[in-house]
Parts: sequence; structure tokens; C-alpha cells
Amino acid sequence: MSTDPQSSSTATRDTVLSVSDVNVSYGKVQALRDVSLSVGEGEVTSVIGPNGAGKSTLANAISGFKSFDGVIEYRGSSVHGRPPESIVESGLIHCTESRNLFGFMTVDDNLELGSYQRGDVAERKSLVYELFPRLDERRNQRANTMSGGEQQMLAIARALMSDPDLLILDEPTLGLAPIILEDISDGIDAIQSEGVTVLLCEQNVTFAMDHADEIHLLENGEIVRSGSPAMLRDDDYIRESYLGG
Amino acid sequence: MANILQFFVQSTIRSGLYALVAIGFTLIFGVGGVLNLAHGASILVGAYGVYFSVSVLGLPTAVGFLAGVAAAGVFGAILYLGLIEQFTTEPIMVMILTLVTSIAVELLVLNTAGAQPVAIPQFASGNFSLAGTNVQFNQLAIFVISWVIIGALFAFINYTRTGKAILAVSMSEKGASLVGIDSHRINLITWVIAGALAGVAGIALGSQLAASPVLGRTPLVLSFSIVVLGGIGSIRGSVVGAYLIGFLEVFVIQFVSSDLSGIAPLVVLVLALLVKPEGLFGRELAE
Repeated sequence: MSTDPQSSSTATRDTVLSVSDVNVSYGKVQALRDVSLSVGEGEVTSVIGPNGAGKSTLANAISGFKSFDGVIEYRGSSVHGRPPESIVESGLIHCTESRNLFGFMTVDDNLELGSYQRGDVAERKSLVYELFPRLDERRNQRANTMSGGEQQMLAIARALMSDPDLLILDEPTLGLAPIILEDISDGIDAIQSEGVTVLLCEQNVTFAMDHADEIHLLENGEIVRSGSPAMLRDDDYIRESYLGG
Repeated sequence: MANILQFFVQSTIRSGLYALVAIGFTLIFGVGGVLNLAHGASILVGAYGVYFSVSVLGLPTAVGFLAGVAAAGVFGAILYLGLIEQFTTEPIMVMILTLVTSIAVELLVLNTAGAQPVAIPQFASGNFSLAGTNVQFNQLAIFVISWVIIGALFAFINYTRTGKAILAVSMSEKGASLVGIDSHRINLITWVIAGALAGVAGIALGSQLAASPVLGRTPLVLSFSIVVLGGIGSIRGSVVGAYLIGFLEVFVIQFVSSDLSGIAPLVVLVLALLVKPEGLFGRELAE
């Protein structure tokens, strides 16, 4: 198993996203320190870590919402200084921890806006309704009247409406009931089987291990472990700190 | 009975104008979260745009109307791009900047056109009798224009791609960016639309009362009362608020004392803030 984050990138695979020596600060507080990782084509790569480790900061830096030092390349092009909507246009879609839904709009309207830059609304919508039948039952319900789990489904579904090439899922399981967790889990499996590349930022280590091809552990803004789920399951530190011994 | 009918006719016509005055103000607050104290300046630009086009440059009246509306729309764009865009996260700075802009525009108009009121061409001339009250065709035209604009704005916002993007930005700017909406462009469009609507309101006010450098002040205070009553950021609330205040003002003029009519909106403003600070319809444009 590798404990050196740099050595974890797979040299042979096609790299969709490459993050090299990225540093992010909030005033005097450094949130990310020399973070490097890569995401391979069609893979689910997960960044795990406790609350405040810097997972959302990393996701925001990649999708253009947070300025950073270092290099982030998506499909070989730097995202540095690009506005989020331009990054969306190139196929990198971010589903945020806080969801950022259009609360006073219906499920249907939220999904339609998900395809703002794409078109083919009807086709995409029937696909996501097939993936999340619970949303289909609530297509005329206002987003802000739905449960947390349903809102999370809607946030993922809206992200899928953009026909993502790379999907960043930030804490998709946070605070969800087990039954909803299953739906979200099935959704991620389906997304993966469609060949969509996923960067999964997740506190729920078991969930991340069930879905990821590669995992990076982020603590206090630094990547301290990297490897496959099988490798990390055998790591004493991970077992004791995150898997209950 | 004649008095009651007269009251309804006068109130309905006045309220249409008030809705026109307030709707741009609430649109900017709902989408950008900006309390635009330069709203009165946009009204002034619209009215004096027509005055300069028609009375100074000698352009046809219809062209003058278009020029006045366009000037107010462009003024909105300049205001957003030149000042507001850089301070969107600093509401106090935005309030100061829009207030300073408002004063600067008043002074500019004062120095170029003088302090004396100037006549603004009417949309229509002549008058007719309705329910025992004398109604100018110009007043009727303003009422019709007001409702055409309100209807068009509703249709634009609810049924067009750009309109839905405006709604999206008003509810969650980050959410809008996540789906690829350029919120700066949407804010710019909103400022242009709000400016143009204020321009129409300025022309309407000027055509009824003549225009002076302080033409925008009363409508600004009026807009505050209307949007606070209706719910800051709610277009529907602004229309309802405009009608409530319009009816109240005419009621005070007709049945209490015309000297007190200007105070009515201020009393409503204070009462609304004390009793129902979120307004009648809350903030439907925003999260």
C-alpha cells in the first residue's frame, strides 16, 4: 500500500482530472496543503476524511468556486481562473454538500434547469426519473418541501441532467436515513455503470469503500493515505480511526 | 354611489402607475439582493430622456419614448457594470453608491435642464367620463401599459429560458452556477430590465405631472412602501402592494384630506415593518 499520495496516480489509465500541489487558504487558515491526486477515466475516486478535513474545499477548487495555488487540469486543460459555468460547459459537474437547489421551484423545473447548457431535456429527464423513481412521484412538488434525502436525490439528478463527463459528489450521504442511503447507493452504481467518471468526497468511509476504485484520505488539508479500498482496509490506522477497529 | 365609483376608477388608475414604479425595484432586490437607491434616478433618466429627445433634439414623440426607455435601460447596465458588480457582497457599500449616484443624477439634470419642471409628451391626449369621473386618455394608456408590462414580465420570467435563469439566480446564485448559468450576465439583464421599467414609469409620471430634477424621490419612497408591504423580492407582492397603497392614497384624498395623502405610504411602511416584516408574499424570488 502506498502512503505517498504522489505515487498513487495510475500511470497507465487515461487521466480525466489531475490535481497537483494544490494549496488553498481561508485568510490565515490553510485548508489544503500540497494536495495531489488524479482521477482516471470511468473510475470512482473517493476522497475521505473527517469533517473539516478540506474535502469540500478541494471540490470547490476543482469546480471553480474557490481560488487556489497549484495546478488543476481537467482533460488536460487548466481550470485556474475559469468561472464555474465555463467549467460546467466542459462537462465537469459538481453536486455540492449544501445541494443549492432552487427551493421554490418544482422537481421538474429544477431538472430542466440542470440541462440549461445541454438541451435534450425530455430524454435526460426520463433517464433520471428512471434512476430515481421517488422523484418521478414528486415531479410537481417544490424542492424546499421535500425531505433531506429526496433533496439529495434531486441534487444528484439535477447534476446528471447536465450529462456529466466528470461528476463531483460532495457528501451525498450526509445525514441520510438508511433507506434513502440505499437509493443513493444504487444511483451511484448506475452512474458508474454508465461510464461517468466520479470524484466522491465522503465522510462515510464504508460507503466510499463500497463504491470507489481508489481512495485518498484527507486529514487537516493533507492527503495522508492513498490506495485501493482493499489496501486501505488492511491499514491499521484506517481500521482503528475510521472502521471501528 | 358616484363617489364610490369615482374612488374605484381613480384608485385603479393610480395603482397601475404605482405597480410600474415598484416592479423594477423589487426585481433587482429579488435577483441581486441589492437595495437600489438609484431607482429614482432611473425614473429621472427615463423622463428626461424623452424630454431631451423630443423637446431639445426634435425627434418624433414615439422615438423619444423609445429613447427614454433605452436610456434608462442603458443607465441600469452602466450602474451594474460600473459600480454594483464589484461590490455585490457588500450591501452597505452598494447602498452608499446607489444613493450617491441618485444625487449625482439629480444634480446633472438640474445643471443641464434647470430646476423648472419640463413637460413630457403624453401617451394619448383628451379625456372621457367614466362613472362620473373625468379620466384622461393618458391615464388609461398608463394603466394599460402597466398591465401589458406586468403580464409580459410574468410570461418572460416563467416561460422563457432566460426568465427561468433569472428565477434560478434569485433562489440560489451558487445553484445557478452549478447548472452553468452565468449569474453576472443574468444580473446585468435584470438591471437593464429594471432600468427600462423605471424609465417607462418615469415617462408615465412625467406625462402626468411634468418632470423636475426631484421627480424620482417620491417614487423611491413609494417603492419602498410597496415592496415592503408586498414582500421584498416578490413581483406578485409588488403588484398587490401597489394596489393596496394606490387605493389607500385615493381613499385618504377623497374621504380624509388630500394634505395627508403623501403620509399614507409611510404609515403603511412602518406598520408593515412592525406587524409583518416579511410582507404579504414573502420573498418568492429568493431562497
